Amino acid sequence: MDRIPILQMGRALLITIQVDMHDQLALALEEDLAAKIASSGARGVLIDISSLEIIDSFIGRMLDNIAGVSRLMDAETVVVGMRPAVAITLVELGLSLSGVRTALNVDRGMAIIQQRLHDYEIADGD
Amino acid sequence: MQQAGTSPDLIDLAGYPIRNENDIVLIRQQAQRLAQNLDFDRQDQTRIATAVSEIVRNALQHGGGGTIKFAIEERAETERAETGRADTGGMAQYLLVDIQDHGPGIAHLQDVLQGRGGNAFGLIAARRLMEGFDIDSSRATGTRVVMKKRLPRSQSLQEDDLRALAASLAVRSAEEPAALVQHLNHELALCLEELRSRQEELERLNAELEDTNRGVVALYSELDDKAEQLKQASELKSRFLSNMGHEFRTPLNSVLALSGLLLDELDGGLTGEQARQVTYIRQAAEGLTELVNDLLDLAKVESGNVDLRPRDFTVHELFGGLRGMLKPLSLNDEVNLIFDEGRDLPPLRTDMGKLSQILRNFISNALKFTEEGEVRVTARLTPDRRRLAFAVRDTGIGIAPEYHEAVFDEFLQLENRLQARHKGTGLGLPLSRRLAELLGGEVMLESRLGEGSTFTLYIPSSGGHAPAAAPGPAQAEGPLAPSPGAPADKTILIIDDEEAFRYVLRQLIVDTGCRILEANDGVAGLKMIGERHPDAVFLDLQMPAMNGYQVLEKVAGDPALKDIPVVICTSSVLNPADRDRLAAATAILPKNELTREVVSAMLNQLHLAKGATNA
Repeated sequence: MDRIPILQMGRALLITIQVDMHDQLALALEEDLAAKIASSGARGVLIDISSLEIIDSFIGRMLDNIAGVSRLMDAETVVVGMRPAVAITLVELGLSLSGVRTALNVDRGMAIIQQRLHDYEIADGD
Repeated sequence: MQQAGTSPDLIDLAGYPIRNENDIVLIRQQAQRLAQNLDFDRQDQTRIATAVSEIVRNALQHGGGGTIKFAIEERAETERAETGRADTGGMAQYLLVDIQDHGPGIAHLQDVLQGRGGNAFGLIAARRLMEGFDIDSSRATGTRVVMKKRLPRSQSLQEDDLRALAASLAVRSAEEPAALVQHLNHELALCLEELRSRQEELERLNAELEDTNRGVVALYSELDDKAEQLKQASELKSRFLSNMGHEFRTPLNSVLALSGLLLDELDGGLTGEQARQVTYIRQAAEGLTELVNDLLDLAKVESGNVDLRPRDFTVHELFGGLRGMLKPLSLNDEVNLIFDEGRDLPPLRTDMGKLSQILRNFISNALKFTEEGEVRVTARLTPDRRRLAFAVRDTGIGIAPEYHEAVFDEFLQLENRLQARHKGTGLGLPLSRRLAELLGGEVMLESRLGEGSTFTLYIPSSGGHAPAAAPGPAQAEGPLAPSPGAPADKTILIIDDEEAFRYVLRQLIVDTGCRILEANDGVAGLKMIGERHPDAVFLDLQMPAMNGYQVLEKVAGDPALKDIPVVICTSSVLNPADRDRLAAATAILPKNELTREVVSAMLNQLHLAKGATNA
């Protein structure tokens, strides 16, 4: 069974989706990520979807779910690199992905996650 | 919502089955590629692919699978103003996507499409993305969705272009390359995994084999050790038998000779009872001598220390000798001993003594175990004329098949009612077999319990054995010392460490009237020879301190003494090398053949007998 790799960079996890995911693969990613967050104690998850040309309602909902699960596990998810055509199509589909934080590209996404990690460190320091 | 055109002209592009989740991915990618080839812009490509993905997933999840068909539809322009496109001659072209599932249909289709109840998000979303959207659902036929989007082309696509497009799609759709590669990768990974486990298995087996091999090698060396030990033990046994045999033979010879003297009644008569007792003593000693001789023969054959003395003879001569020897054995009147010489038998050249010994063994065995009937001894040529077969057939008790090989084992005696009556040594058959091998032949046994046995000896008819060094009869060896006349006043010296034998010999010589001297070892004997210059010396070989060989050597080496005749008397069985060492002796007398006649003949030769009349 194929898997989408999950890379760990410090307290953040990095996922680059480079293939058109079939449904099982998307479900597996959700499970893998939850397990990885639990084992690594990561506080940020960056999902790069710049390779995806199609996000239908199922994949969209999966991204939403993944973000929700991560949030419950105290990790913030940032989806980066969404193509314009994909964004427009998602809106036309009626999916706004309101539960998912997005950023234009990886740099900005990492900045968001770094900021959050920084905030936590200050909080932990008190 | 647009209805299907009034006169739609359909050109099929491609069709795919919807069977599993992978098909969803393949179909939506195919849809995107198709849209790209039809010059839809990027946004529309994504829209079309996404809409297709939604409906196909519905078909799979709610309808349990189905089919999808892509086609181009041409129809008359109906809303020119709306589209705002260049004039295409009143004809518009649409991409048509037709998805049919096998499901049970959708119950309240209109409610669902209005977003009331049901999980119709995909249908509603797809309808938003496409320009035309027809849905038809019934319990009987399943759900069918037909979506359309107008082609962005300014120029209408010609039919040829479409056909080419369809063909290229068909080729690509045969198998999605990425999926194929993925699939192959997966297979490859499985293969590698299997290979690795095979390799591990092989390595494990190899290690196991190496262990086993080490074990085998160790076992082999152990076996070698054992074989070496066995060989040594066997040699030791042969040596022991040979030595002990000689040790036994010496006193036995004394018993035989002394009992012989007694029975000759030279020292006064015996009463009837005494004579019988002495006869029993003599018989017992003879039996024991036979056993010892057999043992010695066996030991000699086993140690390879045996010499063949081949000579020419005929079967007639052989049988004649055997008949003479064995007739007295056949005491039972119920059993006939028959010798049957075949015709046209060639003369033999082999060791007649050994051949005769083998046949004697067979015949005496046959006589032992036959209560009535006959024992028939035959000789014939084998059909190939290469070998002579001597068969001894009896009508006796027979031997059970399981013992056919065992009877050739040393000391084995089978339990049967006749065995108790005839005590044997248990050595006859093993000795016979070994002697037969020595003659270049073999022994075969055929027998059935209760019907008798046939022992057959095969030997090469041409006497194929190279004649071994064949010294003539021992007794005649060596030059006789000429000694004219037989004066009465002669001296004879007996050198022997065994008092009994000196006594026996003295008794045999005493008639000659010669003076008899005795010495009980080599040293004393040699001294006496030097001092007394006897006229003859009877010399034993096996003695403590100085043995007979050394004494003979000294005598022969001394010019003053070398003319004194020396007669060797020994219990030992001599081999050619021994005889060479005794070349200086006048004669050699085996102790077991020592009788009054032999001794007086010897004395005659030496001109020591009483008067010359005996000569």
